[in-house]
Amino acid sequence: MNYDYIIIGAGIGGLSAGLNLAFNHKKVLVLEKNSLPGGLVTTFKRGRFEFDASLYDLMDYGSDTHIGSMKRILKKYNLEIETLPIPYNIRIKSIDNHFDEVIKGQIDDWILHLEELNSGSISTFRNLLPILKEIHEALLALKKGKKNFEKDFPNFIKYLDKSAYEALLDLNLPTNTIHILGYLWIEIGSPLNKLNFIDFAECMYKYIFKRPVALLNKNVDLSLKLAKRLEELGGKIYYRSYVSEIKDEDNDKVVVLKDGTSYRAKEIICNVSENYVIKNLIKNNYILLNQKENARTLSMNCFVVYLGLNQSYQDLKLYNYRYYQFQNINSMANIKTMNHFYHHTIEAIVPNIVNESASPKNTTILILKTLYNGDVWKNITKENYYKTKELLANALIEEFEQAFHIDIKEYIEEIEIASPFTFARSVNTVNGCQFGPMRLGYDNSIHRILSYECESIPNLSFVGASSLFGSGVDNSFYSGYYITEKLLEKESRLKDE
Amino acid sequence: MNKIEKVKKERKEIIADSSKKKPNNTHIDEEVAKQKSIYHTKIIDMKEETNNVKTFTLSADPDSDTPYLAPFKAGQYITIHVTINGEDTTRAYSLSSSPSEANKNKYKITIKRVKDGLVSNYMLDQVKVGDKLDISKPAGEFGYQPIIDEDNVIAIAGGSGITPFMSLAKAIMEGIYDCHLTVFYSVRTYDDVIFKREIEEINKKSKNVKFIITLTREEKEGYLHGHLTKEMIEPYIKEFNTILMCGPKELYRSMNDILNEFNIPRKSVRYENFFVEYEPQEKITYHVKVVMKNKIEEITCKNDETLLVAMEKAGIKAPSLCRVGECGYCRSVLLEGKVKMIGATLKKAEIENDYIHPCVSFPDSDIVLRLDI
Repeated sequence: MNYDYIIIGAGIGGLSAGLNLAFNHKKVLVLEKNSLPGGLVTTFKRGRFEFDASLYDLMDYGSDTHIGSMKRILKKYNLEIETLPIPYNIRIKSIDNHFDEVIKGQIDDWILHLEELNSGSISTFRNLLPILKEIHEALLALKKGKKNFEKDFPNFIKYLDKSAYEALLDLNLPTNTIHILGYLWIEIGSPLNKLNFIDFAECMYKYIFKRPVALLNKNVDLSLKLAKRLEELGGKIYYRSYVSEIKDEDNDKVVVLKDGTSYRAKEIICNVSENYVIKNLIKNNYILLNQKENARTLSMNCFVVYLGLNQSYQDLKLYNYRYYQFQNINSMANIKTMNHFYHHTIEAIVPNIVNESASPKNTTILILKTLYNGDVWKNITKENYYKTKELLANALIEEFEQAFHIDIKEYIEEIEIASPFTFARSVNTVNGCQFGPMRLGYDNSIHRILSYECESIPNLSFVGASSLFGSGVDNSFYSGYYITEKLLEKESRLKDE
Repeated sequence: MNKIEKVKKERKEIIADSSKKKPNNTHIDEEVAKQKSIYHTKIIDMKEETNNVKTFTLSADPDSDTPYLAPFKAGQYITIHVTINGEDTTRAYSLSSSPSEANKNKYKITIKRVKDGLVSNYMLDQVKVGDKLDISKPAGEFGYQPIIDEDNVIAIAGGSGITPFMSLAKAIMEGIYDCHLTVFYSVRTYDDVIFKREIEEINKKSKNVKFIITLTREEKEGYLHGHLTKEMIEPYIKEFNTILMCGPKELYRSMNDILNEFNIPRKSVRYENFFVEYEPQEKITYHVKVVMKNKIEEITCKNDETLLVAMEKAGIKAPSLCRVGECGYCRSVLLEGKVKMIGATLKKAEIENDYIHPCVSFPDSDIVLRLDI
């Protein structure tokens, strides 16, 4: 069977790519190995709880007043998602710094609070805001392919080759304020001295001006909505379709499934990582792809404990939406402590604070997460797998209880533990690194975008968390849109010639 | 050179300096990370437990593409794939061996003959040592959860529901779990007792595991008699308890009444589902159109059989795993028609998008089903 485009993987990137192509009347087929769409944007049920596997804060969706790119693109397809605002309600603790603060209220409250902690924060932070805006606009111009856009955005050019840490120092923010502001690095996974300022600024911009939102319904509802619309627009999704090979045949690409069936298209878009594809799906050697992957560092490994608690969050005294504990608020120092199984960096989310319907009445969902840097999991085999998972989950729960003086254990009704192996199995991510290659040094999102044209391979593109824009549902979604826009442009250019 | 060009050049140089070979940076264990949907095994031993029960020892087939087996937790099941008279079907059985046996690439399942049971009769009568058997990876959520469960574990087993607890008992004996387990095993007569010798041995040897057998239809010295009662269990109840149950639905009903009297909180009681029962008032045969990826098939389905069974009978290779509506492996979209679904664990969005689990769906009209295979 012949298609214009075949997309491998119905994750958010794949669905987004499929939507844009179907919307533009292309003959498109999405092949998904699981029986539901969404990849990690899915749910699982345990007892009376339905847990979201990954997405809690949807960035770049925005609101009616501050419309984000995802909302804008979905509108084109006549799709709208029900969302809830996420207020600033974060507790951050750092052991070495004896720091334990709550960020609450509005952005101005936050700035005042920073000023109280470190004088000089207020003016420098205010000066930072227009720079964030400028960089955001520069990125828009860059993505739209505007020529000579550099001259309009001097700060973009100035900070293009600077790390977030260097740039914030240059902008005279007090060092302690930089580290506090930078707590979000953990969501991206790169320390501030390796995270490019452009990437950092764009993330901050979305965070401050668009504000993250929560989905009113569960994760899988979003994935199914996208999938349904894709099919309404004429695209096809085949589930339970495990791709085993991509090969070249008479100027076409042929995608072979595990069961032997094959489909043909001019263009292939992979919603699996480049790393996975070159190792598992293609026999040819794309030297550039190999080199690109060999130069990279994979992101940290995520370990998640999903808890269904049999009390309300008020009764449990879980008053904050998010909790972070660092060994050291300085991300550069902190990440060095994360090369072992037992460290103190944890993150917790209480979805019920934002969404009362997250779990049944008088119950609470608590998600505990931590990250491991490097090959910490290399000695885990089937002999010690379950035991290790249990020990680590137990340690994580106890760490949370001790860090924030909140009792959890006796209220746990349901528990599920996801290790890097779980992520590797469910979405074929290499080493279970669900955030794809780390955004660091020469390989931040900005570098990938700038070099996209000269690094692209004929008829084979990549979308999703491992691709251009990095991890995060907003980035995955945007990658699907951006890549297909490029491909459609190329197609019409060729037609004109 | 402008800065954009400079940044691009730097990136290009770093990439050009790295190895041209395919990346080789997988450091997590493949046997754990890449669990297969099918494992090929050989039956290496069969042991008669009672007249109607056999334990099968399965070993990874070294000549297949799965020369190893996946790890599992005590309480999990595997699903076996069999072809009987040309019909492909599956059945789920709890693993009865210790999880440590999986490290030696061995599993044990214990199968009891079910009256008119297609698969159990086949397994007990036809299968021989040396035969090949395809199985799923271990699945299921039932079992002991060390983080949240209490030190005092009371297991209630009815008939063949003893099997997951044999695995759990062995896991505790081997130090995999640190807890006290009392298994109340309710069975009709002495001759129906599965794992007799092993139970005796464990009772003699272990401080942490104790089996108490009650015979419901026979009186015998050294055994309790009759259905489980509050009085039988009471001496073993501590301040905090975890209750695990595996057996027929009637057992759960009667046990729930007893457990209520002990005030055991909801979070401390869990049970395994392995029966789907539905008796329609009037027997009707419906038409079912199955829309697959590259073909459409029209079949019939009686309203006292599940859509999954009807598809299997018609030769459609419908996927299945738990066969009790829990795991979602068979999920399909109901495009047209109505079904009676018994005990399916559906996500909210699945319900809103017309998903059904065919393994527990009985037709209530003619049906059009989308099944991507």
